Amino acid sequence: MSQSITIEGTVQKSAMGTGTWSLVGGGRTYEIFKGQPQDMLKEGNRVRVTGRVRDDVMTLAMIGPVLEVENFEELS
Amino acid sequence: MKRLVWTILFFVGLFWALATFSGLANRGTYESLILDFRDDVSSEQVNQQLGAIAQQFSVDPHLNSAFSEQDHVYVVKGDRQLLKTLRRSEVKELLEYAEPNYIYSLQSPPNDPDYTKQWNFRSINVEAAWADTQGEGITVAVIDTGVSPVPDLEQTNIVEGYDFVNQQKEALDDHGHGTHVAGTIAQSTNNNMGVAGIAYKANIMPLKVLAAAGGGTVADIAEAIRYAADHGADVINMSLGGGGDSKLLSDAIAYAHSKDVVIVAAAGNAGTNSASYPARYDQVIAVSALDSAGAKAPYSNYGAGVTISAPGGSTAAGEDGGILQNTIDPQTGDSTFRAFQGTSMAAPHVAGVAALVKASGIDDPDQVTKILYESSRKLENDELNYFGSGQLDAAAAVTLASQNNLSFRDFFRWLRHNGYLSLRFWFDGGVVSLTPKILMVVGAYLLSWLLRVYLPAVWGGFFTSGLVFGSAGLFLLRGLYVFDLPQWPLRVAGSSLPELGTAVQGSNVLNPITASVLIPFALLALLLSHNSLKWLAFGTTLGVASCLAVSAVLDPTMAWLGSGAIARSYLGINALLCFILAYLALKAEAEGV
Repeated sequence: MSQSITIEGTVQKSAMGTGTWSLVGGGRTYEIFKGQPQDMLKEGNRVRVTGRVRDDVMTLAMIGPVLEVENFEELS
Repeated sequence: MKRLVWTILFFVGLFWALATFSGLANRGTYESLILDFRDDVSSEQVNQQLGAIAQQFSVDPHLNSAFSEQDHVYVVKGDRQLLKTLRRSEVKELLEYAEPNYIYSLQSPPNDPDYTKQWNFRSINVEAAWADTQGEGITVAVIDTGVSPVPDLEQTNIVEGYDFVNQQKEALDDHGHGTHVAGTIAQSTNNNMGVAGIAYKANIMPLKVLAAAGGGTVADIAEAIRYAADHGADVINMSLGGGGDSKLLSDAIAYAHSKDVVIVAAAGNAGTNSASYPARYDQVIAVSALDSAGAKAPYSNYGAGVTISAPGGSTAAGEDGGILQNTIDPQTGDSTFRAFQGTSMAAPHVAGVAALVKASGIDDPDQVTKILYESSRKLENDELNYFGSGQLDAAAAVTLASQNNLSFRDFFRWLRHNGYLSLRFWFDGGVVSLTPKILMVVGAYLLSWLLRVYLPAVWGGFFTSGLVFGSAGLFLLRGLYVFDLPQWPLRVAGSSLPELGTAVQGSNVLNPITASVLIPFALLALLLSHNSLKWLAFGTTLGVASCLAVSAVLDPTMAWLGSGAIARSYLGINALLCFILAYLALKAEAEGV
């Protein structure tokens, strides 16, 4: 299992497939993995997220590393 | 000199055209033969011969029409065997020619009402392929979110699959992605409903590995691949990706390949260099996505690992630009026709055509792969490998499959087919145009030979390095990729001096500043006093002279100057200046010693 990382970024809706949520920050785009907190998923939401990159998961959106969110805080 | 180069180029071009022209004779069907007797043969002789043919082969030769008597054109029922025999017989002496009487037919478009919206099928030329096959007897495994029996899959044969997410036999879709992908491969066609599919008589094997949220584990995907291989799948489509290298997954892929399964995967939608896993594994066809204009779709991955391109669409400007298929609405579970975009949509185009190729009688997955690559439409100047071997062409693939004789045009095409070096390195042979590069190096040596009186008997390493650096560079490096790293450092390392001005952008347009006498002049000025480095400057100057001269004669494209007479004159004049500069410098050097 990979270690926890912290990323600051913006939540964005991606139009791949039927649509998925992404976190754009630190020069990368992460795909937010299932089980994510629903109140975090707002277009343009600035957040600081702690989570793990899931190397053992593949998705149909394929927009970047798969990020499993452990917790988050909204940035003003 | 210019005339000589043109003459050589003309013959190279002519030879290439003749070597690669397959002609109509390789395609088409016929049930009768045409016999055209020579004009100087009398009617009696013709009748006598026709009588002999009629008796010997129990056939009835007749005039093609009332208008063909004057030209002595007769038609006789017969096949390839009779044609061969006739061509070997005595009749041959009296004939101008004997040839197959090909049957021409028009393939009508399918009656599915929304077929007109499937720009993607016209783009891959699928109608002409349907004349030969619709994928009968082939099974395509769709490793995805499952497949639901929507109305426009009613006539499609869905065989037993498995749901690895919920561990059950029925693999229904709860997302809408897998059903859409299955539709591209084998939507019911000519059923007066909805849209069409590519290999619409093939079987679909639904294997669910992705949950409703659109993700799934490598372990489930690897198991699904083995399941497909063990249950008679001929082709596997994986419109999914991500994660890292996995031994479990690569073993499963090798296992399926050993069972003659063609494996196709999407290159990924991150818009970055390098295909994602599992597409980047050797033995997997990695598909990048095209928009409706045939350009790389903005989201599509490219570069290292990408081996072919196919329509994935772009819905940025509206649904018309997407790929339209029948699927389910994930909220209600009802049937709906939706236009999606993604390399997820591009991969099933390739899987569908792979099924058509397999149905044409090619079993070996490596052969199928080669046919897909070889028949794809090549794109010039694909500097960053957006398209792999080219754009998918279903009709050309099926034609090539039925000819069943592959001719590989040159070493670099072969290299392209073997683009995969390891999970770290990848080679794109197509980016290097070999002929001009060789001409440039040979030209540099020729120019040195012209100035041989001023050169030492043995050329040092600095001088030859200069010749190579000035003329063609270490051009093989231009095609080398390291996965997940930017490609420009290798491109710069693989560029000659005149190409350096645009090497970082990955363009083959020449920059007038680097493609001129300026830098050789500066190099000479700087290095002339150094005992060994001056030879690097001499060599570079002659190399640049050759590079510019060859570029001027061939088809130059220059920043700001375009590609016409101005660009040619600019390069020609600078080539001459470089040569004069080298001549003067070497002469002074020789006399000074």
